[in-house]
Amino acid sequence: MFELDYFVDILPRLFAAALINVQLALIIAICALVSAIGLTILRVQKIAVLNMAINLVMSFVRGTPLLVQIFLCYYVLPSIGIDLGPITAGLLAITLNSTVFIAETMRGGLQTMDPGQVEAATALGLRAHLIWGKIIVPQLILRIVPMLVNEFTVIIKGTALLSVITVVEVMRAAQQLASSSFRPFESMLGAGLVFLVVNGVFILAGMRLESGMRERIG
Amino acid sequence: MSKFDPWLIVEYAPHLALGAWRTIYIVVAAFLLGYAFGIVLALLSFLPGRLPRTLLTIYSVCLRSIPFIIALFIIYYGLPFFGVRLPTIYVAIVSLAVYKSAYYAEAIRGAIVALPRGQFESARAVGMSPAQAFRHVIAPQILRGLIPPSTNLTLMLIKESSVLSSIAVAELTYQGLIMQGNTYAALEVFTAVSAVYWALCSMTAWLAHRLEARSNAPQAAAIQRNRIAARYLSFERVGK
Repeated sequence: MFELDYFVDILPRLFAAALINVQLALIIAICALVSAIGLTILRVQKIAVLNMAINLVMSFVRGTPLLVQIFLCYYVLPSIGIDLGPITAGLLAITLNSTVFIAETMRGGLQTMDPGQVEAATALGLRAHLIWGKIIVPQLILRIVPMLVNEFTVIIKGTALLSVITVVEVMRAAQQLASSSFRPFESMLGAGLVFLVVNGVFILAGMRLESGMRERIG
Repeated sequence: MSKFDPWLIVEYAPHLALGAWRTIYIVVAAFLLGYAFGIVLALLSFLPGRLPRTLLTIYSVCLRSIPFIIALFIIYYGLPFFGVRLPTIYVAIVSLAVYKSAYYAEAIRGAIVALPRGQFESARAVGMSPAQAFRHVIAPQILRGLIPPSTNLTLMLIKESSVLSSIAVAELTYQGLIMQGNTYAALEVFTAVSAVYWALCSMTAWLAHRLEARSNAPQAAAIQRNRIAARYLSFERVGK
């Protein structure tokens, strides 16, 4: 039988644990956005060797599961002398993953920019850092807002994987509740509900933005 | 600090190969099942009235909000709760398929909606039979819009299958974790495991790339022709 009382009882504790997920996700999102901008500017410098290395790393990150990347940061880094705690290792893994996906979208975004604006800015004698800061980056970010919202929901979902390296967030909290109550189904359903509430808002916003964008372009 | 021991990977290669094979098996089965499910959901969403579309949106918001690991455990513990007992590998396939079906459905719906109005009627008007109109006008356009998102979703599917290790499905990541438990050689284990995933994803992406007609070429070419713009908007050096 489904224990409704138990289900209602654990929700406050799961929502409290969700604060960890949201905090981690916010830190990751900010770090990833900043490093993706940096990476994009670096790639535009057209240093052949560096771009080849960046492409290789990006291909690796895009071609391996986030879970394996989390294991790489948590289990493998210590064996080469970098011992991070579970939270730092998890932050590093998801940030790296997210940086790569945002940077890849920025590459696509650059191709939709109007060449005339860069020409005009160059003709006016603007310095490179101003062309980036005042012209390209703001428009680039505006253009990929739907993707960024989408990526934020992916980051939030990613934080649930940190349960496997002992970070006590929603998933781990639900597992602990399940093992003390022997009610795994209700506990997991509770965890699912928490994510639905926390993440659903962003998902809906992302879908709206995406279809709005498509209508404006198409 | 430990040294990298390639022989360890050779020693465990049969286990890794078995894990890789099971990952492929699960991914192919989940892809077929999930895509079929996605097609049905997408077509149903075109039924008259607002309700079918709204239901699809609710379904996909629910699945997109929840991490796969939680959806997996809900299904894993939920099925016995309703008296359904399946071998774990089928639970794995069904979970992946159901989880991805929402994404596939949205992609398929998107590709159909993106068709310009009146394509079918125009094709009929120039004398094509309905079958010809579908074969030569409708299908190529749907496919062009469908292949890129489907590729991305399928790559996600391959990667998400690693989460199945947490319900002890003996796929690639699980084999890696077992190997790590036996040897404590994290470096070798995860190097090997990630190399196999990388290869699987690269092959899938390559296959999809061959299927896909290049679509976004004109704008990129315009940027490449404009040397000043290319200085800021492109990663490749412009010739001459």
